[in-house]
Amino acid sequence: MNDMLKIADREFHSRLLVGTGKFASNAAMDAAMDASGAEIVTVALRRVDIENENDNMLAAIDRARYLLLPNTSGARDAAEAVRLARLARAASGIHWVKLEVTPDPYYLLPDGEETLKAAQTLVQDGFVVLPYMNADPILARKLQDVGCATVMPLASPIGSNQGLKMRASIEIIIEQATVPVVVDAGLGAPSHAAEAMEMGADAVLVNTAIATAENPVKMAIAFKLAVEAGRMSYQAGLAAQSTHASASSPLTGFLRNEQK
Amino acid sequence: MTRTTNITAILADNRLDKDRSVWADALERVTAAQVEQALAQAPGRYSVARMVTLLSPAAKAYLEPMAQQARKLTIQRFGRTIQLYAPLYVSNVCVNSCRYCGYNRQTDVNRTRLTREQALADAEVIAAEGFRHLLLVSGEDSAYVTVDYLSTLAHELRRMFASIAIEIQPLQKDDYAALFAAGIDGVALYQETYDRDVYADYHVAGPKRDYDNRLETPDRYAAAGMRRIGLGVLLGLADWRLDTLAMAEHAAYLMKTYWRSQIDFSFPRIRPATNVIHEWPYVVSDEHLVQMMLALRLCFADTGIVLSTRELPAFRDRMMNICVTRVSAGSKTNPGGYASDTTAAEQFTVADERPPAEVAAAIARCGHEPVWKDWDAGFIGV
Amino acid sequence: MALLKINGIDKTYASGAMPATLADLLTQMNIDAATVVAEIDGAIVPRQAFADTRLADGMTLELVRFVPGG
Repeated sequence: MNDMLKIADREFHSRLLVGTGKFASNAAMDAAMDASGAEIVTVALRRVDIENENDNMLAAIDRARYLLLPNTSGARDAAEAVRLARLARAASGIHWVKLEVTPDPYYLLPDGEETLKAAQTLVQDGFVVLPYMNADPILARKLQDVGCATVMPLASPIGSNQGLKMRASIEIIIEQATVPVVVDAGLGAPSHAAEAMEMGADAVLVNTAIATAENPVKMAIAFKLAVEAGRMSYQAGLAAQSTHASASSPLTGFLRNEQK
Repeated sequence: MTRTTNITAILADNRLDKDRSVWADALERVTAAQVEQALAQAPGRYSVARMVTLLSPAAKAYLEPMAQQARKLTIQRFGRTIQLYAPLYVSNVCVNSCRYCGYNRQTDVNRTRLTREQALADAEVIAAEGFRHLLLVSGEDSAYVTVDYLSTLAHELRRMFASIAIEIQPLQKDDYAALFAAGIDGVALYQETYDRDVYADYHVAGPKRDYDNRLETPDRYAAAGMRRIGLGVLLGLADWRLDTLAMAEHAAYLMKTYWRSQIDFSFPRIRPATNVIHEWPYVVSDEHLVQMMLALRLCFADTGIVLSTRELPAFRDRMMNICVTRVSAGSKTNPGGYASDTTAAEQFTVADERPPAEVAAAIARCGHEPVWKDWDAGFIGV
Repeated sequence: MALLKINGIDKTYASGAMPATLADLLTQMNIDAATVVAEIDGAIVPRQAFADTRLADGMTLELVRFVPGG
């Protein structure tokens, strides 16, 4: 079956993107990534701790197998996000960026206005931009208009595991988008991911739910299967719910007298 | 990143502009079970597959449930209101030779161009009837109906009307931007038929022969900021199902690309006109027209559905109770027809001759409120 | 005395003891240059230029690297 996820000029078999944060160890991260079947994995950029030993996580990721997607987490405004994206490009040679601008330190909710500003600058600078955003259909279209490669609405606040709280808005975004819609943040269970895919999302991004599971490898497999099931269900077309039959023809009865 | 998609490519890639038999076959293959499944989904979402299903011959047996859904959805999205507008024909001079049209330059009819004063005289009659939405119409008369003519006129008309749209020849983007700045906020421009061969057959001479230019014109005026995009096919020229499919794809493309503008669908069935052919290969019955309107509504929850005075009173009244959101009333399709007893040629013969107040009463009778004005462009500083 | 501000921390060096180049600094701090991206006074230094980038008193350095994240 030729059902590829196409972002910018690249195609992917897997519709599950995974984050690399919050794992107990690099080994646990590596095993879970492997089990998830993901082809895109997100990483963050931080200052080197100059007082202590640093371990090198890049060494733990097989760059031939995974597309490394640097994020701009920690950026509080557009200027910081642009700076982080450029540093990430210098560090990795990758011109893809998951754009995050989160001035609120508690819920880490994205700042739409600054995100749009940063997206504009980064697209002009040659980046493939995947912006994390509130589930705001108008913002989604503005981000798409400035040339973003996807839109990534949050399902519910990041790390909250609450699932598709923003369902009604995400439905509108999916209906209107001309770029892939990647549902990000808040998907706490494989059933949430399946629900998003069933609605017609093009992909999902999961981190906390896999990384903090009792058994991250099993959970990674569960998400992989859920994403595939949801996608298949979307393609198959959900079965009819219920039809309300109407015996009489009050609205169209007038047509019967017409000569066909 | 540049978006490479454009409507010409979309129609060509999907074989909706030529050699459309693949779609005719798909329509024939639709089963009753598929129609029932489509009707079980939440209405108002577009996909080509859904459109094919609802337009299919199989769906003809489901017009009543379709109408029930369409009525519910229309009331939900538009409220119990129907908007009234009036056309003002400013010129019936035309450089084209469209075989179906009363303005065809090869026909020998009484040609008139309204001066600004004459146009304002007609406009005052229309305004006095209560209208606040106006549609300026002309033949393809680019020598007379210029950007300057329209801008100057619009400037005067804005005193009387909340919203002014135009239905004239295709223009360039800068022209549309100038007209938008002058207070014109909508454009109607019908492709007539999306079938290239049929199009070529009917548009025998004049600039309108250029199918692609016409097809890409909505892009230009939407990009110039026009708030209302009027699409339509002239029903009678080609297979209505196939043309509706193509128009739906066009609408879906425009909605995604120019998401700040609203689409209106119009449903002009060919009407008699002076000195033009009277035999049409694809006559569209009432039943077909109803199916077309319902299928579009059940795929597009928020598009305007416009029914003009080309249709008979009984039919208009029925459809106003189902899915129509805008109607014209008291229309004169000849320049100067409102303020004078002119003998200037009509574009077509009006079928609903009721005065506007009677149409408003009919709207009220079907439980809706007739709305003469529902927004004012001045409010947002245009 | 010479001063470098590295990742927000002031590092002072006795005269003559400050590393001459960015590459020397990383070696001294036991940081694998291949995993780091550096910014000096707000400008990104390409990795190939680490050995040729001379340090001077008063420079502000940012050394960043990839870490796990979602």
